[in-house]
Amino acid sequence: MITVKDLHKSFGELEVLKGIDAQIKEQEVVCVIGPSGSGKSTFLRCLNLLEDVTSGEIEIDGQQLTDPRIDINEVRSQVGMVFQHFNLFPHKTVLENITLGPIKVKGVSEGEAKEIGQSLLKKVGLADKENAYPDSLSGGQKQRVAIARSLAMDPKVMLFDEPTSALDPELVGDVLEVMKDLAQEGMTMVVVTHEMGFAKEVGDRVFFMDEGVIMEEGDPVQIFDNPQNPRTQSFLSKILS
Amino acid sequence: MIENFLDSAYVKSLPYLWEGIQLTLYITIVGLLLGFILGAITGLGRLSKVAIFRGISTVYVEVVRGTPILAQVLFIYYGLTAVNIGELTAAIIAIMMNAGAYIAEIVRGAVYSIDKGQHEAGRAIGLTERQTMRYIVWPQAFKRMIPPLGNQFIISLKDTSLFSVIAVGEVLYMAKQYYNTTFEIFETLIMVCIFYLLITIPTSIILRRVERKLDV
Repeated sequence: MITVKDLHKSFGELEVLKGIDAQIKEQEVVCVIGPSGSGKSTFLRCLNLLEDVTSGEIEIDGQQLTDPRIDINEVRSQVGMVFQHFNLFPHKTVLENITLGPIKVKGVSEGEAKEIGQSLLKKVGLADKENAYPDSLSGGQKQRVAIARSLAMDPKVMLFDEPTSALDPELVGDVLEVMKDLAQEGMTMVVVTHEMGFAKEVGDRVFFMDEGVIMEEGDPVQIFDNPQNPRTQSFLSKILS
Repeated sequence: MIENFLDSAYVKSLPYLWEGIQLTLYITIVGLLLGFILGAITGLGRLSKVAIFRGISTVYVEVVRGTPILAQVLFIYYGLTAVNIGELTAAIIAIMMNAGAYIAEIVRGAVYSIDKGQHEAGRAIGLTERQTMRYIVWPQAFKRMIPPLGNQFIISLKDTSLFSVIAVGEVLYMAKQYYNTTFEIFETLIMVCIFYLLITIPTSIILRRVERKLDV
């Protein structure tokens, strides 16, 4: 589904990604963990070209993202992205947030988009909020709307950039629950997260990133209970203690 | 007493001033509408990735903001002898060019103040750059432009008084014409100031209300 080959990304002089190779299969849930500054968010943002790639290759569902002839907007409409700070559109209602993409990008009729939106809101447990504005929602509700907004484009892959890091602890559960449902439905997901419980329970594989490379990867049980790389060991001992 | 008042410049200057008032408002409104278009283009130009567009916009804004408006008015009317435009056209162009530069900064500031995440979220669902600006960034930025644009309206309204130097029949020019024959300078200028305040004070009050309502 996703193949990344020797991906490099520099911001000016600073090289943030120093050669990433990864394979992600269809329906797989990959959790990316690692210390801050390790490049995990940058890696995720390269996967829908929110960051342009310095060198290397990214292939998603048979499309070469690094091919200059590719229609970036087409790719992005198939790769959903959920941000740490939700980034809902404050001047639009919850339902309008969700229907904007289908209407403007896919050319879906307003009526049809509304139906899609309402069914997605039901799915994330916010059916009663369709006419509310984002400002009136809690963080957890906002993030569930953001997930619905991404899903409305019917993406093949969903990227999550620390989706629960900006939430109050008691609101994290609802968001993770929605993500778990998605995983069970077979969505291909790449999740940058600090939620080790989620990674363990839902993740098929874990990437541990540090200093711009994937230092270690494996199934969650192996990574958490028996990490091989000393950096992984030291990172896990810090966050689990 | 009342007869004295009715016979004074407070009342008798009004027909003259009214002509000037109409022209003042006309120049202000037309000039500002054109200035808003120019300002929106050059304001976005200053944020553009295209170097030429950005360069031209920056030079324009800096030149206009760095020179006195009176010099600009004289330059447009007398300086551009090659094109020989009438004084009313010169006045409208002067307001457009001058306000355009300040509006460019208003537009630039407002667009720049919108969180980068808004733009990213738009692009992430597959909107093009243009759609993202139109549906996501611009509507939010425009709200933030309203208070400073109202302020610019007040400034440009007052700036039209400078056009008396190129014999545009705006309100101050008409006042001068009037008191040059009657010598009731004090009374006539009081009426001119009252006119400006009748426009500017309500504008300020409305702006403050709008500001509170928009919560920007």
